[in-house]
Amino acid sequence: MQEGSHVIEVRNLRKRFGGVTAVNGISFAARNGKITGILGENGAGKTTTLALICGLLTPDAGSIRIDGAAGGGLETRRRIGALLDHQGLYPRLTARENIAYFGALQGLSAAALDRRVEHVLAALGLDRIADRRSEGFSQGERLKVALGRVLVHAPENLLLDEVTNGLDVPAVRSVRALLRGMRDDGHCIVFSSHVLEEVSSLCDDIVVISKGQVAAEGSPAVVCRETGTQTLEEAFVALTRTEKERPCVRI
Amino acid sequence: MRPYLTVAQKEIRDHVRDTRSLMSTAMYALMGPVVVMLVSFSRPVAEGGRPGLLLQMASVFALVAAFAGSMNVAMDAMAGERERRSLVPLLLNPVSRFDFVLGKWIAASLFGLGALALNLAGFLAALGLGAPGSLHALSGGVWLWVLAGLTPLVLLGSAIHLLVAAGSRTAKEAHSWLSMVVFAPMLVGMFLVFFPGWIGSWWFVAPVAGQQSLIARSIAGQPVLFVQGAVLAAVTVAASVPVLLGARRVLNRDDLLAG
Repeated sequence: MQEGSHVIEVRNLRKRFGGVTAVNGISFAARNGKITGILGENGAGKTTTLALICGLLTPDAGSIRIDGAAGGGLETRRRIGALLDHQGLYPRLTARENIAYFGALQGLSAAALDRRVEHVLAALGLDRIADRRSEGFSQGERLKVALGRVLVHAPENLLLDEVTNGLDVPAVRSVRALLRGMRDDGHCIVFSSHVLEEVSSLCDDIVVISKGQVAAEGSPAVVCRETGTQTLEEAFVALTRTEKERPCVRI
Repeated sequence: MRPYLTVAQKEIRDHVRDTRSLMSTAMYALMGPVVVMLVSFSRPVAEGGRPGLLLQMASVFALVAAFAGSMNVAMDAMAGERERRSLVPLLLNPVSRFDFVLGKWIAASLFGLGALALNLAGFLAALGLGAPGSLHALSGGVWLWVLAGLTPLVLLGSAIHLLVAAGSRTAKEAHSWLSMVVFAPMLVGMFLVFFPGWIGSWWFVAPVAGQQSLIARSIAGQPVLFVQGAVLAAVTVAASVPVLLGARRVLNRDDLLAG
């Protein structure tokens, strides 16, 4: 992987659901060896954008290129590991079986599958619960298994949607360490979050989305400078005008 | 391994562990044999009253067992995926939506065939235990026609269950719809028991009604041509194809994935 080269490029992406425009001309690029954060208020279009990039939804207009190839087909899903929801484990399958199922669907051979499953279980610290059925797993354990399913085919690009939501501090730290490690290994990581402090500390580049459009793009420092603010939170508020539209009400 | 076989293998492994669902399916499959055996001991039948009608009732139970045997698996494999939020992660894999549908159909059909086998084994047991003159008259050939006739219906039933479950947000919603769907073959079967003349000489091109007629004819000792049975099987399996394509179409819907 060539560090710094664009590997996920999104151009003028549009998507409507009935009468609602979820994504309205979004363009940005995410690079190898960088974590790109997608920021936006609820309903801004973050999840829809990620779903479009990984080919889950078909855009009404615009283009997506992943590693230079047109996105959208089955090949896209081989190049990407996407975690848009970490709830959906199969409760009657063990952690190992959950991960192996997704590896098999990715087309790994039997030998490669065994090797990768063992590697992922060890890397995520899941050895202890590898052969336990996933019903009754804690939130952190569920997330790790879900991450294992995403990582089992060793994707070059990662798309993660609010993965640290609802996790305790050790689990959040564990996820952040994992992402930093993958970034340092040259992977391209696109990461959406509501937690500005997390984005600020983790992401090399950020894309602020508001009302289905890109409101700002660049490193956190650049975004702050361009908005004339000191912190990412102030920049986010300035860009999305959330305080103006939703004034504080005393109860 | 082909992707649809990977999906089928996972669904089989998953649902073999679902004890509650298996018990429910087994009870539905054995309900018919138990009821027929109890009725066979009732005075009018035991005294040689209307064994023919009893056999026709048994055929309806077998028809329903063939159709409904895969219901629980199909429900969990489709509506369950949405309910537990595993559908989106699943569809992020490089596998076509039709392969997912096909794999789930194969798995559901195998469970359906298991339920049918249990149902027929139950009737065989009822034969041994039932009152004299009730079910003893059935030859091996009749059972062969029953099995051959109902196997394609298992495939069609599984496809219909998957389609209905794919359009349902939760397993509970799917259960509500499928309870009504399962009523259809029962209605058709019972209607034909009492009004067999309603289906004409083209019975072998009508799935569900055709299976009921096939069984009724073979029980009554009327001739059934091999070609008629083959056409009925082909028509029934062919009817599954548009239903499966419909399930794939549902999986392609944006609203299904976007919530």
